[in-house]
Amino acid sequence: MSSKKKTQEPDADVSMGDVPAADTEVAVADVNDPAMLAFEEQRIRILPGSLATAASFEFQKEDHTLGNALRPEVEFCGYSIPHPSEEVMNIRIQTYEGTTAVEALEKGFNDLMDLCDVVAEKFVAAREENVSRMES
Amino acid sequence: MDYDPMVMDAEAMGPSVKITEAGAQHVDFELQNVDLAFANSLRRVVLAEVPTMAVDLVEVEANTSVLADEFIAHRLGLIPLNSKNVDDVSYSRDCDNCDNYCDQCSVTLTLHARCTGDEIMKVYARDLVVDQGRPNQWVGNPVITDVDGLGTIICKLRKDQELRMKCIAKKGIAKEHAKWAPVAAVGFEYDPHNKLKHTDLWYETDAEKEWPKSKYAEWEEPPQEGEPFDYDAAPDRFYFELETVGNLDPDAVVQQGIKVLQQKLAAVIQDLTEGEGGANGDAYGGAPRSPDVGMNGGNWQDQGYTTPFGSGNASAWGGGATTPFGATPYGQNGSGWS
Repeated sequence: MSSKKKTQEPDADVSMGDVPAADTEVAVADVNDPAMLAFEEQRIRILPGSLATAASFEFQKEDHTLGNALRPEVEFCGYSIPHPSEEVMNIRIQTYEGTTAVEALEKGFNDLMDLCDVVAEKFVAAREENVSRMES
Repeated sequence: MDYDPMVMDAEAMGPSVKITEAGAQHVDFELQNVDLAFANSLRRVVLAEVPTMAVDLVEVEANTSVLADEFIAHRLGLIPLNSKNVDDVSYSRDCDNCDNYCDQCSVTLTLHARCTGDEIMKVYARDLVVDQGRPNQWVGNPVITDVDGLGTIICKLRKDQELRMKCIAKKGIAKEHAKWAPVAAVGFEYDPHNKLKHTDLWYETDAEKEWPKSKYAEWEEPPQEGEPFDYDAAPDRFYFELETVGNLDPDAVVQQGIKVLQQKLAAVIQDLTEGEGGANGDAYGGAPRSPDVGMNGGNWQDQGYTTPFGSGNASAWGGGATTPFGATPYGQNGSGWS
């Protein structure tokens, strides 16, 4: 760090106090940068050794809530949480010819999203019905 | 998923919800035609990921009571605070307007109590004074449901003992701390006759006689005498029972729960689709492209939830801390995705 500082100001004798201050400023700017936020939020990656029709995915900061609910229509799908104290979940998907694991995963998530929509809708309807029943 | 109406027979038309009982603080409902995993996801999300308000910071100006500062701070944290329309409140940790806390990401409650009489004085949640300037008119009000209008007891004071503190309530989720839980209890049961044999009942002579039937047993057909076991059967009726702590209406908790689940999904779907735009295969020698880090600059701070615990964890990962997991044969774990 000090050498970097020296190249900028070759003649200045930089006191130790200045350096951390400059560092903190840079870090704060980075946090507010949308690109940095997106960068930080990249939570999915395909694990090495994956093929188009047989892939393993690693999800950061996801758990059983997502892993178990996901049920794509594929040849094989399974998930695991390798260690309970790490917020990581792995999903393995193997598909038949004609579709890829990534497509199947995406379709699985989209279907789950639609299921949520339907359940939310049904719940609101049931609530309305219950309210009118209580009033009558 | 078996919810496509096209493949359903006439009787089962996708998921259905029936509310069997509801009150100010509880709701019982039956969820039909979804799979067990979905019912469990809904339960998990309601239990741990629906945001509410709770006291998170306490500035103690005076405490001459018998209880230690942190003891009282803990008690204050556990007081249920009204969280209606908590979406109006932003998370304090990613509030753009302040470095610490402000009107948009917190509610301030002041507590000032001093015992002047000879009798022991009790300090209740009603003694918390909610300051002006908060995201909406409900958020942060202590939940008071008892007939006397007292609320939760905080402390007892003897003569001349005093409490003077400023409580900062923030938005959070129960995954981070249980004080943010919207529910006292949430659970579901299924298959009251145990036809699926998911439960192995302990018994002395006859499980049928020794175990009381669930109240939902009469909702479903009891097994016939000598009925063969159906290996293909799967549970499809789930009886939920949910009780709130009073900070949100029970129906709001369920709706928020589904919303949170959808936000989680949206974040993951976005991550997945945006990642397809960029090429990133080379890192793994021609393996399928992993989601690219240089995304299209999508602005999506409002997905899912992250706790300080979680982000601390993540930075440790990105920072190349060598966990046993990081040192797998695949190598370069931390740097691979960040």
